[in-house]
Amino acid sequence: MPDKKPYADPKAPKLTAPIEEHKKHAEEVLADEKHKTKPEDFPDTDEANP
Amino acid sequence: MTYRPTFRKQGDGSRCQWVNCGPASQAMAAQRHRKGVDPRNNHGWPPMPPEIRNRVSPYGCGRTDMKELDAAVIHLYGVDMLVRYGISWSSFQSLIISGRGAIVQISYRVIAPTKYDASPGFYGNHAIFVNERRSSDGAYLVYDPLADGRRAGIPKGPQWWPASLLKAAAYAMPGTASGTVNASFTRDTEV
Repeated sequence: MPDKKPYADPKAPKLTAPIEEHKKHAEEVLADEKHKTKPEDFPDTDEANP
Repeated sequence: MTYRPTFRKQGDGSRCQWVNCGPASQAMAAQRHRKGVDPRNNHGWPPMPPEIRNRVSPYGCGRTDMKELDAAVIHLYGVDMLVRYGISWSSFQSLIISGRGAIVQISYRVIAPTKYDASPGFYGNHAIFVNERRSSDGAYLVYDPLADGRRAGIPKGPQWWPASLLKAAAYAMPGTASGTVNASFTRDTEV
């Protein structure tokens, strides 16, 4: 069973920070190569019930 | 005010309707990405789940993933999503606050026992569209393609989900790295 404990991102601005700080952080996260590779065991979506 | 797309249900009578959470979520994300502006090409507008499904799998009803949905809407609407894996919750919040919407992959097992359950008996992997965060209580405006109010007891989306519920459902998606979120983000429409 994988550990689902969240990890803190020290670079993330506080929720109440100015919008400019959030935009800057967003660009940094999106540019980070480590977030661009799909995990090998990440599944597709499933069929729901009507 | 953050642009809000039209809610699209997956149970629309189309051929893959109950496997169409991905295309339905992608349709809403594509409309948000373009803020409702028609690209005026030879494809339909606004984005609709069956058109995206037909691009992803014209003959079958296979399950979908975020990258193939992204490829479909690049072709159909000129919408290039940002598919990212292993995002911390704090960074996810920051991305939404900064002006982006996101398709988030979740485990419906977490939603099933709550009033937000829109598919009784379904506990599988699901896709939703998250449009914005409300600063007063930290809730998220969630467009669950199953929440179409089709009968009594089925909620009607979009709905404000508590942040704790969204986070727990995203964390519980199988294959997700410890304490992270996998999501496909729109461009920043609030610049």
